[in-house]
Amino acid sequence: MNFKAICFVLLAAFAISPSLAQNKYTLNGYIKDASNGEALIGATLLVKELTTGTSANIYGFYSITLPAGDYTIEYRYIGYETVIETISLDANQKLDVELQTESQELDEVVITGESEDANISEIQMSAEKLDIKTIEKIPAFLGEVDVIKSIQLIPGVSSVGEGSSGFNVRGGGVGQNLVLLDDAPVYNSSHLFGFFSVFNPDAVKDVNLIKGAIPANYGGRISSILDVRMKEGNMKEKEISGGIGTVFSRLAVQGPIKKDKASFIVAGRRSYIDILAKPFVDNDATLYFYDLTTKVNYKLNDNNRFFLSGYFGRDVFKFDERQGFDWGNVTGTLRWNHLFNDRLFSNFAFIVSSFDYGFSFGENDRDKFDWSSRILTYTFKPYFNYFIDTNNELLIGGEATYYDFKPAEAVGVSDGVTQDISLNEKFALESAVYVDNTQKLSDRLSVRYGLRFSAFQYFGPANKYEFRTVEPGERKELVNAEPFDEREVIKSYTNLEPRASLRYKLNNSSSIKASYTRTAQYIHLVSNTAASTPIDLWTPSTNNIKPQTGDQYTLGYFRNFGKGNDYEASIEGYYRDTDNQVDYVKGADIFINEFIEGDLISGVGRAYGLEFSFKKNVGKINGWLSYTIGKSELKTPGINRGDWYSTRFDQTHNLKLFGETQLSKRTSFSANFTYLTGAPITAPTSRFNVQGLVIPYNYYDSRNNFRIPASHRLDIALKWDPTRPGKKKKNEDYFVFSIYNVYGNKNPFSLFFAQQDGRAVAGEAIDTFAYQFAIIGAPVPAISYNFKF
Amino acid sequence: MKKIYIVLLTLGLLACEDKVNVNLPEAPEALVIDAWVNNKNEPQEINVLKTQPYFDNSVPIGVSGAIVEVTSEEGTVFTFTEMEPGKYTWDPATSTETIGDELLDYTLTVVAEGQTYAATSRIKRVPPVDSIKFTFKEERNPFQPEGYYAEFVATDPVGPSDSYWIKSYKNGVLLNRPFELNIAFDAGFNEGGNIDGVVFIQPIQDAVNPLTEELDAFEPYEVGDSLYVEIHAIPNDAFTFLQQVQIQTQRDGGFDEIFAEPMENVSTNIENVSDSPNGQVVGFFSMAAVSGNGKRVSE
Repeated sequence: MNFKAICFVLLAAFAISPSLAQNKYTLNGYIKDASNGEALIGATLLVKELTTGTSANIYGFYSITLPAGDYTIEYRYIGYETVIETISLDANQKLDVELQTESQELDEVVITGESEDANISEIQMSAEKLDIKTIEKIPAFLGEVDVIKSIQLIPGVSSVGEGSSGFNVRGGGVGQNLVLLDDAPVYNSSHLFGFFSVFNPDAVKDVNLIKGAIPANYGGRISSILDVRMKEGNMKEKEISGGIGTVFSRLAVQGPIKKDKASFIVAGRRSYIDILAKPFVDNDATLYFYDLTTKVNYKLNDNNRFFLSGYFGRDVFKFDERQGFDWGNVTGTLRWNHLFNDRLFSNFAFIVSSFDYGFSFGENDRDKFDWSSRILTYTFKPYFNYFIDTNNELLIGGEATYYDFKPAEAVGVSDGVTQDISLNEKFALESAVYVDNTQKLSDRLSVRYGLRFSAFQYFGPANKYEFRTVEPGERKELVNAEPFDEREVIKSYTNLEPRASLRYKLNNSSSIKASYTRTAQYIHLVSNTAASTPIDLWTPSTNNIKPQTGDQYTLGYFRNFGKGNDYEASIEGYYRDTDNQVDYVKGADIFINEFIEGDLISGVGRAYGLEFSFKKNVGKINGWLSYTIGKSELKTPGINRGDWYSTRFDQTHNLKLFGETQLSKRTSFSANFTYLTGAPITAPTSRFNVQGLVIPYNYYDSRNNFRIPASHRLDIALKWDPTRPGKKKKNEDYFVFSIYNVYGNKNPFSLFFAQQDGRAVAGEAIDTFAYQFAIIGAPVPAISYNFKF
Repeated sequence: MKKIYIVLLTLGLLACEDKVNVNLPEAPEALVIDAWVNNKNEPQEINVLKTQPYFDNSVPIGVSGAIVEVTSEEGTVFTFTEMEPGKYTWDPATSTETIGDELLDYTLTVVAEGQTYAATSRIKRVPPVDSIKFTFKEERNPFQPEGYYAEFVATDPVGPSDSYWIKSYKNGVLLNRPFELNIAFDAGFNEGGNIDGVVFIQPIQDAVNPLTEELDAFEPYEVGDSLYVEIHAIPNDAFTFLQQVQIQTQRDGGFDEIFAEPMENVSTNIENVSDSPNGQVVGFFSMAAVSGNGKRVSE
């Protein structure tokens, strides 16, 4: 049993007795924001005398073990005043530090958190941290700040287009990204078909995207990890913030329940197109979304702290009172931070997450068709962070997730007669244990290595289906169905996932980093549409669908320029080999299909590219430039004559430019420009008629042989603070005026081929046409008002 | 399935769709065999044609001088004769043979341009269309305006693996647009649909209502209109083929594009059995037993 294995590893962790040399002592504590008590993730501390240091973990906790002595310690976090503490370390000591926000200077606008030389000194490569302050500066669609849209400005990240859910990382699929909200997996991160994401910026503290060099504590997806951390809630004072925008309004309330002991945050959003449109619509047609993000935390004592966070959101689209379409996520996370001793920090997380969608048709209870689908998961995640000494930091932990898939619950009622065509539920357990150590070998060389062992069981009650391939690329034929009992394992898989990365500092301003990551993915996002949508279906690995695996290699050169690391530059190359990539037979039917496994086939994939990044952190104008040149391909028997073909999200060129400037004390201006190679599509060469229908035909049987035109777009935003200068104020409010797609480019979402709308008449010619469809074909101006008091 | 997404069109405030000129790669011609034969007592037609460039908006070129024969398992040969270029027919009125509703295999043989093509199909059992019903409904939303909505009632026989093409004729005109293609596997949408031996599920019963010219709403029946519904019992491979045809032809643009599936070649059951095969062949051969029933809307 894997639970046993987890327990064993955990016990082993405790067995590592603190092998303290005679006169070494530990200094530990939390690094927090002085204004609201929020943990500063990744804040650093530097021991001046020893030129060594450490950084705070995701809960703001740090621990460093040093020989007895007197030390000057600097606590740093970008955008905050450095705090210098002098201590005499003659016993283990606890020191919580609060940092003050730097007074806003005209020419210094902060772009990222962390220490100034993180670009070269951090061992983590292929990752980007964006704090919410940065995200808020990026001009956004309809003026609404958005996490998923913001990360698309990072090299190697893209999407298939406006109106597609999710995002693609380094040529990977949407379902190959693990999206976490306070440790809870989010199975669909979009509102309104991807125009907005589920993350409410008022409640988000920090976003970390890991594209490669994935540490062993993360797993389950082969492309990337998007780790979104919610604010804990202001520990010091009550704070109300929000905004009134063109599409929706937001309101967030946070504050202490008991000062420095317990706090909460509640943040909600609701769109109101439907309310504005009400007078013009004469039936119950409506379209809206809402979400509620909430969190409370309670510090029991110095060694124990609890966090409870939840998300509840829904999109509703109705075309009359009874008929419509809706979808949404629910997540809940209970976390317990426990300090076993000065150097052993732990966290236990209990998580529930679900995503579901539903359709309703019909005019009354005697004639209707209701169809819904859901994924529900329960996860337990123990995590131990052991600060062995100044040179080693160990992570040990595990993960166990119980899956309950309900592929389709479909009930039709016809003249009062009910027909239930629901499919059987599917159950699975995914578990993992891992060890990960970050080790400083010398001032120049640091390494991080880890191993993750993952396992997956697909079990009953279910039928084990066996299929036969009649012809590659065509529907497989069902040859056997064998019933399995409850909890009886139908198929199990295991994978060893080694991870390794290193950083070698060439000098004080440059370094080289390299990594290797092996990942396994046991659940698959099945979607045979060109873009990802809310009705994509999560399905487990079975005896027919094997787990996906990926091996990624990265190599990068990182260089800072200017005094105080004013400019940061990097070049990274990546190569990823993937196996068991899900593809679809011709005419695959993924909805309400008990034999879906017969419509899924698998192939191998490869993705490679070079990413360039240049950031200017100071000066009148600052911002960044990111450019990626890449390729992403698949090879599946029976498709494209068995040759390699481009994936739908293969983008050769991906250029993003973001700039920001402070025009005056009260106004700032920002702009971003995007250029993307057009997505590959399959285009017909010919056509033929069958029974009066014109069918497109590609003579060469090639897939993705054609590209839609490239897309490019400029967005701008002006932030204006209406408060008169000189007037001291505690409250903060500002307007944001923005224009999305300034020059109104009709960026193609798709290029498609269709016969005439009119009915074909026997013996007469039928016309065929090509159409280019743009979701946003015009400039979109917007205004929003934001406040905080 | 696609029809449900038509409703998403309303979102299209900022969207735009343009007819564009696209330079598609050139390709050689392939032979097309469009052979859907049934047991109705009327002339049966098999077309032997050529593919044409995608934007060639002309009547497809017929292939003349072909030998077209359908042979039953029992050895009966039905010879199709060329009536006009590429159009081959066999008329039961001029023959002593009939295509019945016995469960029999049939083989198609086409000899055209020096190549021989073959395919097999089967007559399968067909349930009767028990009745047609019209219900007057008030306007529900812009997609479902006021009028008479039709449904047909028929029961899939017990036992899995029946498949059907349900054809609807409004006032004698076949509803033959891509979005009007109505197929069923047993009583549901597909083989894995978990439903057998019962009345067809509601969405299939309902799919006998035509769409407007612009494909953006239903066009309900009016008093005096007639509807004739035929169930063609087709083999499973023909069902799979039509499922693929549905995906490839139901392209309506607009927000439907978000849910659109990529273009892909549809399959074929026709094989080039020549000693030295040359060139490509597309199309399909399907036999069908047919049942039907009709009704006119009255006050």
